[in-house]
Amino acid sequence: MTTDTATEIGIDRNVGDFSYPESHAYDAGYGLTPATIDYISKVKDEAEWIREFRHRALDVFNSKPMPTHWASKDLNSIVFENIRYYLANGQRATRSWDEVPDDVKRTFERLGIPEQERKFLAGVEAQFDSEAVYSNIKKAVGDQGVIFCGPADGLRDHPEIFRKWFGKVIPTGDNKFSALNSAVFSGGSFIYVPPGVKVKHPLQAYFRINAENFGQFERTLIIADEGAEVMYMEGCTAPKFETATLHSAVVELVALKGAKIQYVTVQNWSANVFNLVTKRAIAHEEAEVKWIDCNIGSRLTMKYPGVVLKGRKSRGEVLSIALANDGQHQDTGAKMIHAADETSSNIISKSISIGKGRSTYRGLVHIPKHLKGCRNNTECDALLINSNSRTDTYPAITVRGTGNSSQHEASVSQVSAEQIFYMQQRGLTKAQAMSLSVNGFVNDLVRQFPMEYSVELKRLIDLEMEGSVG
Amino acid sequence: MSSLSIQDLHVSIGEKEIIRGLTLEIPKGEVHAIMGPNGSGKSTLSKAIGGHPDYTITSGDVLVDGESILGLEPDERSRRGLFLAFQYPMEIPGVSNANFLRAALQARLPEGEEIEATDFYAQLYAEMDKLDMARTFTARAVNEGFSGGEKKRNEILQMAMLKPKYGILDETDSGLDIDALKVVSTGVNALRGPDAGFLVITHYQRLLDYIVPDVVHVMVAGRIVHTGGKELALELEAKGYDWIKDEMSEAALA
Amino acid sequence: MPMSPAVLDLEEMQHTQAEDSGPLVTSGPANGESEHDSAWLRETRAAGWETFTALPMPVRTDENWRFASIKALSLAAFSRPLPLTEAQRNELRARSQGLDRVAGRMIFGNDQLLSREVFSEDLRQKGVIWLPLEQAAVEHPEIFKKHFMREEAILGGQKFAALHQSQARAGAFLYVPRGVEVELPLETFHWLHGANSSCFPHTLVVAEEMSKVTVIDHFASADSEAPGFACGVNDLWLGTGAHVTYVCAQDWSRHTLAFQINSTVAGRDASAKMLTLNLGGGHARGESISHLRGAGSRSDMLAVSIADGEQEFDQRTFQIHEAPHTSSDLLYKNSLDDKARTIFSGLIRVDRKAHQTDAYQKVRNLLLSDEAEANSAPGLEIEANDVRCTHGATSGQIEGEELFYLQSRGINRADAQRLIVLGFVQEVIDRIGNDQIAACLGERVQAKFEGSRRSR
Repeated sequence: MTTDTATEIGIDRNVGDFSYPESHAYDAGYGLTPATIDYISKVKDEAEWIREFRHRALDVFNSKPMPTHWASKDLNSIVFENIRYYLANGQRATRSWDEVPDDVKRTFERLGIPEQERKFLAGVEAQFDSEAVYSNIKKAVGDQGVIFCGPADGLRDHPEIFRKWFGKVIPTGDNKFSALNSAVFSGGSFIYVPPGVKVKHPLQAYFRINAENFGQFERTLIIADEGAEVMYMEGCTAPKFETATLHSAVVELVALKGAKIQYVTVQNWSANVFNLVTKRAIAHEEAEVKWIDCNIGSRLTMKYPGVVLKGRKSRGEVLSIALANDGQHQDTGAKMIHAADETSSNIISKSISIGKGRSTYRGLVHIPKHLKGCRNNTECDALLINSNSRTDTYPAITVRGTGNSSQHEASVSQVSAEQIFYMQQRGLTKAQAMSLSVNGFVNDLVRQFPMEYSVELKRLIDLEMEGSVG
Repeated sequence: MSSLSIQDLHVSIGEKEIIRGLTLEIPKGEVHAIMGPNGSGKSTLSKAIGGHPDYTITSGDVLVDGESILGLEPDERSRRGLFLAFQYPMEIPGVSNANFLRAALQARLPEGEEIEATDFYAQLYAEMDKLDMARTFTARAVNEGFSGGEKKRNEILQMAMLKPKYGILDETDSGLDIDALKVVSTGVNALRGPDAGFLVITHYQRLLDYIVPDVVHVMVAGRIVHTGGKELALELEAKGYDWIKDEMSEAALA
Repeated sequence: MPMSPAVLDLEEMQHTQAEDSGPLVTSGPANGESEHDSAWLRETRAAGWETFTALPMPVRTDENWRFASIKALSLAAFSRPLPLTEAQRNELRARSQGLDRVAGRMIFGNDQLLSREVFSEDLRQKGVIWLPLEQAAVEHPEIFKKHFMREEAILGGQKFAALHQSQARAGAFLYVPRGVEVELPLETFHWLHGANSSCFPHTLVVAEEMSKVTVIDHFASADSEAPGFACGVNDLWLGTGAHVTYVCAQDWSRHTLAFQINSTVAGRDASAKMLTLNLGGGHARGESISHLRGAGSRSDMLAVSIADGEQEFDQRTFQIHEAPHTSSDLLYKNSLDDKARTIFSGLIRVDRKAHQTDAYQKVRNLLLSDEAEANSAPGLEIEANDVRCTHGATSGQIEGEELFYLQSRGINRADAQRLIVLGFVQEVIDRIGNDQIAACLGERVQAKFEGSRRSR
């Protein structure tokens, strides 16, 4: 992956040479104004309440400053005026296969990505026809009464289900980027699982693939009704060709009483992308939400999946792997807000920094005094490879009796030339030594990913390791 | 030619020459000791023979059973039968002692052959018992949280499992009290025999009470300046390293 | 070793009285036992007093005193160490029960030497020096000056370290020559006697190259209800390849304000192991710094604190890696009952040239009641490459399952709780690797439980 050297980010013309069609069927143009909002709302034929929602969000977005007082100053490279906020179906930028960089092609090869998908991911084809491949699964899911559609359809056809929770888990004003998303959201998945239904197949973003799903401002809302269970997967290990460089998604999850939601993300955006995501869940009584997150790509990712443990005995988990290579910054963490008795939260974060890559962990765990029987476990480990750059934020932890408990472990370790020499002296080749170290480090977490991903993940991590110890 | 042969070796770190023409031959079946003051280049010698990337061999040769190992990667040298017991063994978090040894043994087998698990564990436990190591060590990450004595014992365990032709022990006694020293020495002595040669590098004579050498060399400023029998070690202890320096002509130390 | 012509008579020392005691805070530096008292020591005490009066008392907003109960630190009520009658001295001697097999035993009461016995004949032959502080200052001034209060207290207790420096008279100075391994431990008792008395225990260990020794200090109050002030310092200096084990079993009264300030400097390939058992004190603050100064050195920092009633244990630590290939391992376990509070703040710093460092830090808190409170604040500062650091803190309750299991075997709840807590702390005590000491500490922990139960 090439490192972007441009300091002002709008449309990136450095990643290969590509062409835009001369005229777009739907194009909101550059920049973000109330007119942009009206345009988007009109194209989507939205109800008045949605358009007002967007307008209010735009106001909030404009009123909030960039959070550079605590976050990376690199955010200042984003020039909002230079961004296109809406590009319609079928109008994705394309390029020829010859123009795809060799290392991207090699990665596809090594990861065993099917031919058809390669072209789509590389930006050679504008559409990927998922209908044929996944139609069986989609039918089975439909038969169980599961609703699986996009935000426009969801809000139009099932307002009684979705409107109730839309914007409630993550209010517009939560942060500048959730406000931006609330103003210009387009694409994403709206899912409703009826009571007691345990969805057998993981639902994937791929099932609904179209240009919009690789859009910048996806909005996802998943509601699992009482006793329902569902797993949702987004992203893939293959590097994705991306022209738009600001991704500001919002994901809201609602797990009603006794429900279980697992949300798996593997993010491997190209190295010019700012990936700023707000993800939060509300877990009701005895519900469970698990965020399983792997961040390998992008120039800057800011993502702190969170769970509000609203109901008694609910449980929240964040399992996160982040890998930052030269020129990348993975700023990740988790937020657990305990709001009921006997709730428990578990955060396991493992990050790998190579060379000048930076990884930062930010954890927030809140257990107020009046609650009883709450537990938190936080484990945050960093592995530095030829690197010594590491920042962590650990608030001091106070625990008072009443049955509350907390466990916090953190570690920083290195794979160094010394360690590699030691292992080589025992007969392992350099590559074997590297693989053994890094896999030993992430193994426990990688195993938690669905099998489809875990094999690819291991290969991808090995790939990233190549040439990193010199 | 059954020996580890070091011929007029010159080793530098960057611009600085540390080993300045060292010649030594360790035949199989013998234990040679090298004693020397701090800064004489003892650790450099062992790491250079092991193929550490920071050290450059500018001239001379190192031969294992008649074949030069210069230019070979550290792991290739290991597979040729060379074992280095480190002065400061590394921790490898996330990789258990058992898995590490298995990987190391597996690396020596031809393509397609697998280590047989039950044989492996039987052998591992037998060696651990000899070194008085608790079974719980197998699941622990390599050297993680180990005391100095435990790390050194672990080095000897690895050596016992890998059965090298030539073992180089780099200041194995540093940081050990007498009890730990005895355990480690027993482990090394158990591996002595006609099929293996050992080079024991140390600053203190004390270790050589337990691992009794056949030959003792004294190393000063990157060269062997004196060679003798095991009594030489005692003489050195009694008179100190300055004695050797005084005994040398200026030419020898130049 | 050059000896000064004046050798203090130990017999004589045991019978001199303490001076008239007045309020501590206005007393000025302590005066020595005899006119042979080293001038250097007098100057050092005077300097300590100056610093003590110049420095302000800690305030809540000091980062080093975060979470602590500042009000409890007032020194106004305390007097200088109170004099002891012959009967009181005998009583304290009789009550000094520790280990069965030791190389030597010293007993101090209110900073007065009550007895010194050497049991291992070869100590003297091997050249081991083990003397009361003031005598060591006179007979071995070179070594003493080189090591006494040389390391700065930097974790917040500077004012109290200075006070100690101005008052230090009692304690053991231990020098172990090159290559000498002392098999049995050397044991010292320090007693606080009388309401509002103070004492200033000092332990100074200098272990030369390749030596090995174990030292154990017992701290106790004669009257478990009497208020008092204890301000102790222990400094350990380890030469190349030395092995030192230091154990401090602290059981001052519930109304004692106690400080214990430690600094350990480990030379090349040396290995230091320290364990503090905190049972007593109303407010007990420990500050412990390990300097991993020589390449290949190692420090194990261990503590067990059993807090109940309204006790507050405040522990601040610092693991400083100054050289390559060094390692440190901190394990502190706290058991809290009733309204007890604990504070732990531990920093690990790895200097630029301290490559291949391994540093660990673990704090485990067991909360036995609703109102107990455990505070943990870890900190990492890494500047070098090739470093491995872990730190973690756990706070929790006794597992209901565990408790139920024991009760189902006929053990009543209180005993079950005690067994579980003992099991909880056993891991730390076992790290000392000495059965005699482990047994002694185990008994002390048990005794605290018995005592607490009776007083409920």
